[in-house]
Order: sequence, then structure tokens, then C-alpha cells
Amino acid sequence: MGRLFVVNLEGKIYSCKHCRTHLALCEDIVSKVSFHSRHGKAYLFSKVVNVTMGEKEERMMMTGRHTVVDIFCVGCGSIVGWKYETAHEKSQKYKEGKSVLERFKVSGPDGSSYWANHEVSQLIAGSDADDV
Amino acid sequence: MGGVEDDEPASKRMKLACRELKGNPNDSLLSEPSFGSSRDLMARLLQSEEDEVIGSKGVIKKVEFVQIIAKALYSLGYKKSGAHLEEESGIPLHSSAVNMFMHQILDGNWGESVATLHSIGLKDESTVKSASFLILEQKFFELLDGGKVMDALKTLRTEIAHLCASSNQLRELSSNLVSFSHGASVGSSNQVNLRAKSRPKLLQELQELLPPTIMVPERRLEQLVEQALTLQRDACVFHNSLDREISLYTDHQCGRDQIPSRTLQVGTNGEVSLKHKLSGHHKPVSSVSWSSDDGKLLTCGVEESVRCWDVSSGECLHVYEKSGPGLVSCGWSPDGKSIFSGVNDRSICMWDLDGKEVENWKGQRTLRISDLEITRDGKQIMSIFKETAILLFDREAKSERVIEEDQTITSFSLSRDNRYLLVNLVGPEIHLWNIDGDINLVAKYKGHKRTRFVIKSCFGGSEQAFVASGSEDSQVYIWHRGSEELIGKLSGHSGSVNCVSWNPVNPHMLASASDDGTIRIWGLNSHLQQHKKLQQVHSNGGSMAAAYNGRT
Repeated sequence: MGRLFVVNLEGKIYSCKHCRTHLALCEDIVSKVSFHSRHGKAYLFSKVVNVTMGEKEERMMMTGRHTVVDIFCVGCGSIVGWKYETAHEKSQKYKEGKSVLERFKVSGPDGSSYWANHEVSQLIAGSDADDV
Repeated sequence: MGGVEDDEPASKRMKLACRELKGNPNDSLLSEPSFGSSRDLMARLLQSEEDEVIGSKGVIKKVEFVQIIAKALYSLGYKKSGAHLEEESGIPLHSSAVNMFMHQILDGNWGESVATLHSIGLKDESTVKSASFLILEQKFFELLDGGKVMDALKTLRTEIAHLCASSNQLRELSSNLVSFSHGASVGSSNQVNLRAKSRPKLLQELQELLPPTIMVPERRLEQLVEQALTLQRDACVFHNSLDREISLYTDHQCGRDQIPSRTLQVGTNGEVSLKHKLSGHHKPVSSVSWSSDDGKLLTCGVEESVRCWDVSSGECLHVYEKSGPGLVSCGWSPDGKSIFSGVNDRSICMWDLDGKEVENWKGQRTLRISDLEITRDGKQIMSIFKETAILLFDREAKSERVIEEDQTITSFSLSRDNRYLLVNLVGPEIHLWNIDGDINLVAKYKGHKRTRFVIKSCFGGSEQAFVASGSEDSQVYIWHRGSEELIGKLSGHSGSVNCVSWNPVNPHMLASASDDGTIRIWGLNSHLQQHKKLQQVHSNGGSMAAAYNGRT
């Protein structure tokens, strides 16, 4: 295989659960509370590295319609979250260009993993689920 | 004469007549007119107008055209032909005043030549002054060489002094008088240091001084032809041939057929064959570097060590490593006496051939994934030192320059003339930066695909006029460097093409390495034997940094 190009981060790092490729820094977290995926918690990051992007999709989320792309780890190809390309509601514009990493898919800075909690995702208002 | 109206002015009628006498303007000017009576010839000579033009666009003045041809004939040594042309065309190369001037110079009639100078028709007073100065300076030196010191002094005082541009000039000339008399008294008799240049040389210098309307410049025809050829070559978008192939008979234009587009060879059969398998690394080899004499090869195992191999025997000559940190890149110093390497602790170090660490530049100088380039003068070391920036470090001047990009950089390469850097970005996009003097972005190349791997690109072709890159869609992409136009996509590989290398001595050969496990050699579509011959000339001319995941 060709040589994988990866960016190495410094600091408190979130990395891919499967292959440990660096994905994002703790300091780049924008929000920890408002995002949920079907597997549970998800964090919004201002910057994510070492990911490739899927096709653009229109998705209806709890906060409105958005154009998003799924993001995949370059190391192993597993899906790790999504990125907001366009938000169609004005109040959601702040998300544009930022990415969500599913807590279930990454290892935290202390190496900890997250166990999916399905009940939580459905309840909290104002959060984005990746599927309605 | 048919076709001429009677109420047209007489001169025009005569002009038409002249042209008919000479025949078709496209015919050679030296051919005899078809109506060859001497009366017609006389009429022609009398009526030839100064502003007569030739050529399809009517911008070439006939008199000038004939004169530069005559000049070219003389400088080629064809004196008789030159004189004959002057006579037959009735167009003298020089006016009679200029002819007289030239004779006077060559005969050494200084006073008369200066006088003629004033009647030649020079409008610029300063030119007259400078030319007079040159002539009298020659007179001065010739007198000195002849031992006539007093005459020389007189010349200096009365004739030259008022022409001197500065007192320095005058002083310099006077010093010659002094040193001459010293030399004479010391008593070297036979060896005379001739200070005066030869008279033909003086004539040449005067020629350069005088405006071209007075004296046709030397080699003007050659200059014009070269200009045309250069324009043709520059306009040739796909220009990828050797200069000696340019002919005067037709306009030069390379077609796309001068760009490699056909696979000549896959794997190891045929002309290019496996020479050695270099085993020893335990980690994947991330980069290679050829020594300037192509006799040795450096290879770097990722975060492991650097090995030096002898190319002809395949033997591992040395292993360079540090106890602790691993090495991430390697490069030769141009003199072949030292080896540079990037270290995964961000520093760059330098070893002598025996493995002794000679230098270690600490700080953030390189990243784990980075190329390492060293300029031909051995002074500048280049590496990616931040996600979006390349460091150009002058180890002699101890100064640093930086190229800042707007995206993450994956790899880069240096042009052969060391004036440009080709930078690969995640985009994917390739940027061409000028690093000679002020750093600035020159061009961008797009179209290829990249999402996961380090894909390398390179300069190539005649005068490195092209940029080639690998791509994750299994093709080799080729752009015209100057216009940024994508001119070729070479298909054949069945996996991501990670690396390309254009043969530095054969502009028609390109190599590529792919995830399909093969190396392909690309060449021209034509079957001409001459290209095969060129391929045999290069030995280690093509160097490749193939990013393989194997250990050899």
C-alpha cells in the first residue's frame, strides 16, 4: 500500500478507536453537550485531521436541514462522524466547516473508550441526531 | 505593362514596373531579372526607393534586408559573394563615408578618421566624442608602443584631454606614460608589452558604439534567426525535444507526441531490468537519495535508520542511526562527503561517511513525514517543519526562510536549477513556488486525486517544462508547467500511483510506481529507433523514491 499521509497532533488527542490515528485535539472542542449520534454522545470540533470525506447529503436533523458529509478515518476507513458543509437555518450557521466526532468511535485523551448509551440520544432537545 | 492605369502617378507606375522586372517577390533576390537589358537594370538602380518593402506583411525594408545578408556573407568569410551582392543589388553595405572611415582606421590615419567621423551623419554629440576618444586613445597607445613618448604626451595633452569623461580617465592614461618610461629605464628591450589593441579590434569596438543605421551590427542576421527560433520554441506548448532538433526549414512545433504516453515496460522485462534487491531495513523504506555521481544510494527506513548502498555491487556500505530517536528522511550533500537526515525528534543531523555525527540542528526543523532536499551548493536544507509550512534553512549563513501554505503539505521536490519548489498539498493541489530571491507562488496544478496517501510529483522533460504527479485514481498526470494546463493522463496502472520520476537525461521517459505492485516505464507513442538509443545512454539517470510497504 502507498504511504499513508497522517498529521501528528500534540496535546490531548482524540484518536480513532480501531487504528489510533490522531483525529482531533481536546482544545478544539466547540461543544460537548449538544450533539448526539445513534451511538450516543458526539462532540463538535472546530478542526479534525486525518479524515476523508464522503458524498454531500441533505439531512434533516432536530435543529433543521443541513448539508453534511460523512467523515472516515484515513487509517482504517471506519466512519467516525460527520462534517457540516451548509446549515440552512440561520441560527445553525455557526456549525459550518466544523466536524462532529462520535464519542463511540474515538479513544479519548486518556485512552478511554465510550460505551454507547442508546437511551440518552433520543431525549435531549436541541441536539443533532444523524438520523431522525 | 498590363494592369497599370495611365492616370496613376509616374513614380508608382515605375515602381510596379520595377517589381515586374524583378519577378515574384518570393523569388531569390539574387536571381537575374527576366527582362535583362542593361537599360532596365539602370532604371531599376535609379528608381529603387529607400522605403521599398518586401515580404508578405510589408514590414521588411528591402535595403536593410540586403545589407544584413551582405554583412552575414562577409562574416561567414564569403567576401566575393558579399561584394557581388552589393554590386548586383546596387545597395552598398556602407555609405562611402563609412567605407572611408573604416579604411582610415585600419590604416591608422587617426586625424583623418576623426574628421570623417564628423561627416558620417551622427546626430548624437556624445557618440562622436566617445568614438573620437577611442580613436585617439588607440593613437596614444600605438605611439607609446612605438617608443614615441613625446608624441604620445603631445597627443594626450592637445587631443585627448578635452575628450576625457573624467579626470580619472586622464590620470589613468598619464600613468601609462610614467610606467612606460620606468619600464624602458629598467631595460627590458625585446619584450614590449603592447598596450594598443589590434586595429580590427578597435574597428569592432567603434562599430558597437555607432548606431546601427550608420554601420550594420555584426551578426545581425544570426540574431534575428535566433530570435525567431526562440519564439517558436517558447510558443511550443508541448516542447519536449532536444534543441539540436530545431530546423530552419519549418516552424518548430512539438505535438503531444513528444510527451511520454505509452507504457514501454511493466515490471522487470526488457531494457530496464532489476539490478539489485537491497535488503536490510526492517521498516518500510520511505525515501531514497542518489549521490551526485550516481554511485551510491541512500535509503531511509521509516523511523529506523539510513543505509548507504553501493549501486554497482548492491552492498550495504554503512548504516547510520541514532540511539533513541529514529530517522525519517535522508539526503546527500552535493560533494558526496556528508549525509543529512531528518530525525523523528524534529531535528536534522549531518554525518560524515564513516558515521560520525558532525552536526545536529535542533528545534522544530522537520516533521515525521517530510522530504529532505539539499541545494547543489550544499548550503540550503529544505524540509516540511509545520503542517502548512516548509523551512528553507541556509546552514552557512545560518538564516531561515519559510514557505507558508494555506493547506496541509504532504511532500515537495526541488527543481534541478534549485530555483523552484513543487509542493504537494492535501487538496489535492500542487503549488509551484519560486525560491530564488523573493519567495512567491508561481503556479497551481489540479485535477489529480488524493485522499489518503503521500503522492509524489516531480519536474521533468526538456528544461523541466513539465510537472508530473501520481494520483489515487491509478493514473499519471502531466501538466505543462508554464500554462498550468493538464496535457496528459497516463492510464495503465491498476492501483494508486504513488510516485513518479522523469528521467533527467531523457526527456521522453518517465517512471511510475503503484499500489498494484509494479513500476511502469512510459515513453513516446512513436516507434522511432532513435528514442531507443537515447534510453541506453542513461544509467542511473532516473531516480525514484518509491514508497513501498515492503522492506526492500
